[in-house]
Amino acid sequence: MYNKNYSLITGASEGFGKALALDCASRKMNLVLVALPGPELYYLADFIKRNYRVDVIAIEKDLSNEQNCIALFEEVSAMHLRINMLINNAGIGSTMLFSEGSIQMYQKQIKLNIMATTLVTRLFVDTLKKNSPAHILNVGSLSCFFFLAKKQVYGGTKSYIYFFSKSLRRELRPAGIQVSVVCPGGMNTNTSVIMVNRSGNWLARMSVMNPEDVAPIALDGLLKGKEVIIPGKVNKFFLLLNSLIPSFLKEMITNRQMNALSSVPVGNKFLLAEAAKPFSIKFANQL
Amino acid sequence: MKILVTGATGYVGHQLALTLAERGNEVHVLVRNPASLNVPGHKNILVFAGDITDPSSITAAIRGCEQVYHTAALVKVFAKDPHIFYKVNVEGTHNVLAKALESGVKKFVYTSSCGVMGASLNEPRCENDPRITAFDNDYEFTKFLAENLVREYVHRGLFTVIVSPSKVFGPGIETHPISVNKVIRNFIRGRLTFIPRPGRLLSNYCYINDVVEGHILAMARGIGGEKYILGGENISYVDLFKMIRSLSGTKALLMQAPKFMVQTLAVLQWIQYKITRKEPFASAKAVHHIFCNKTFSSGKAIRHLGYHLTPLTEGLQQTIHFLKTKNHV
Repeated sequence: MYNKNYSLITGASEGFGKALALDCASRKMNLVLVALPGPELYYLADFIKRNYRVDVIAIEKDLSNEQNCIALFEEVSAMHLRINMLINNAGIGSTMLFSEGSIQMYQKQIKLNIMATTLVTRLFVDTLKKNSPAHILNVGSLSCFFFLAKKQVYGGTKSYIYFFSKSLRRELRPAGIQVSVVCPGGMNTNTSVIMVNRSGNWLARMSVMNPEDVAPIALDGLLKGKEVIIPGKVNKFFLLLNSLIPSFLKEMITNRQMNALSSVPVGNKFLLAEAAKPFSIKFANQL
Repeated sequence: MKILVTGATGYVGHQLALTLAERGNEVHVLVRNPASLNVPGHKNILVFAGDITDPSSITAAIRGCEQVYHTAALVKVFAKDPHIFYKVNVEGTHNVLAKALESGVKKFVYTSSCGVMGASLNEPRCENDPRITAFDNDYEFTKFLAENLVREYVHRGLFTVIVSPSKVFGPGIETHPISVNKVIRNFIRGRLTFIPRPGRLLSNYCYINDVVEGHILAMARGIGGEKYILGGENISYVDLFKMIRSLSGTKALLMQAPKFMVQTLAVLQWIQYKITRKEPFASAKAVHHIFCNKTFSSGKAIRHLGYHLTPLTEGLQQTIHFLKTKNHV
């Protein structure tokens, strides 16, 4: 073992979280991986241990339940690990018309994206202070900057993350904690998102990146102390355009792009199971 | 025993059907074109015309079969209409699974691919290791979706086992546009051969006879819902071609092609495709997957199934002999 420091990553078993975990491991960081119950988390932990000489601890928790956030903190505290990095990645994405989503789905999305991030950060902030210099990486989204149809609630939760990160950064800097927010565009994270990303038209498709390419950019940005990390040239270009073109034109373009996307909630296995069935039929028609 | 083999006009399916027939089984093969030269010919093989994308055409072929080997798939890097990958590899698999369950098939072996698992890091990959890169071609992605379906059918009451061969080589029919056999043949014929740079990148090569036997072992001893890697030795490109050179005595030139060169080629092919509609054999997106280690461990199949690995030198020797006599090099 090269060092005693641990990075805690939530939502680590698939998609961007998995890519972040692999990238952290390649930088010789020891890991605490938190994800929904399921064998994938242990497969990943075992895989990382075999391929990189780091320690990996796997903890199964559904963080959309507040009690589980507290239980996570207690479990980790009892292990007396020197945690100096927190990556709040767990989240539920969605691309759907507002009336298509269920109340349960929105509740879960808001609880996980906003509540869990806030709670976990609050619970671990003293640990991080003690172990400073420390880092917090929050996962926002490019949709913080664009008002997109079909991304109302999701975009809202990510705007919270963006605001929360930037404010917290100013507050925690004196304590030796570096806070960054990464705002990726579309990523090919899991089966259903890959399908949604394929259903988009060229402008949306062009911006789609692979999580294994975004993760190193995010980690580099975090370690360099960047405030906002925008991965990818196309995404940066979108942001530049955003500040240049008039709003009515922007609305025309974003509406066209978003209407081409098929609707599906993503990022949570439990919700996915319901969504996947009608979707596979849709997919066949859309490709 | 009556056994259905789909994909019998493909490389692995063809050899598998012949082996099963040779061992006294009544083998049903479902083929799109019964007149194709790739249809395996044997007194124990019964040919049925049909297509896995047409469920009703499977009925007659599967009737009375106790076992199904589903090896049929669309194996390509690129198709003009990407939907066809989904139609053949996912929906087609679904059709065969549904018919198998309906007609009371006892065991079902699905031929997947190590491509579903993707690149490896420092250690050879095992069955449960997570993928480290996103899917970037339709073949691997649809094979992955099909694997999920095959696993799901275990819960519906069908006994299914997944086998994942790595890069297959050895005597057999030629069906794939870029196969290991083709590369070896060009090399021993003295043609200039390109390998990725750095040439120390590792890949896994399995001998066709082992893969066929692995299928039969998985059917006999595999655990329902489990996946078994059917691989061979892990070896670098440089060492592989060194071995082929010493076995065949070829004087062919071997060159290491850097990534940008292959990327340029892929872009040129894409332009050519846009103009002439000639399908490319490499896509720009998939290029970086050529330039990584792809090592696999067959440990699980060896331990649980009694899978046997033919030493690479022996397999290559047989292959070179086959290619030389068959094609009169």
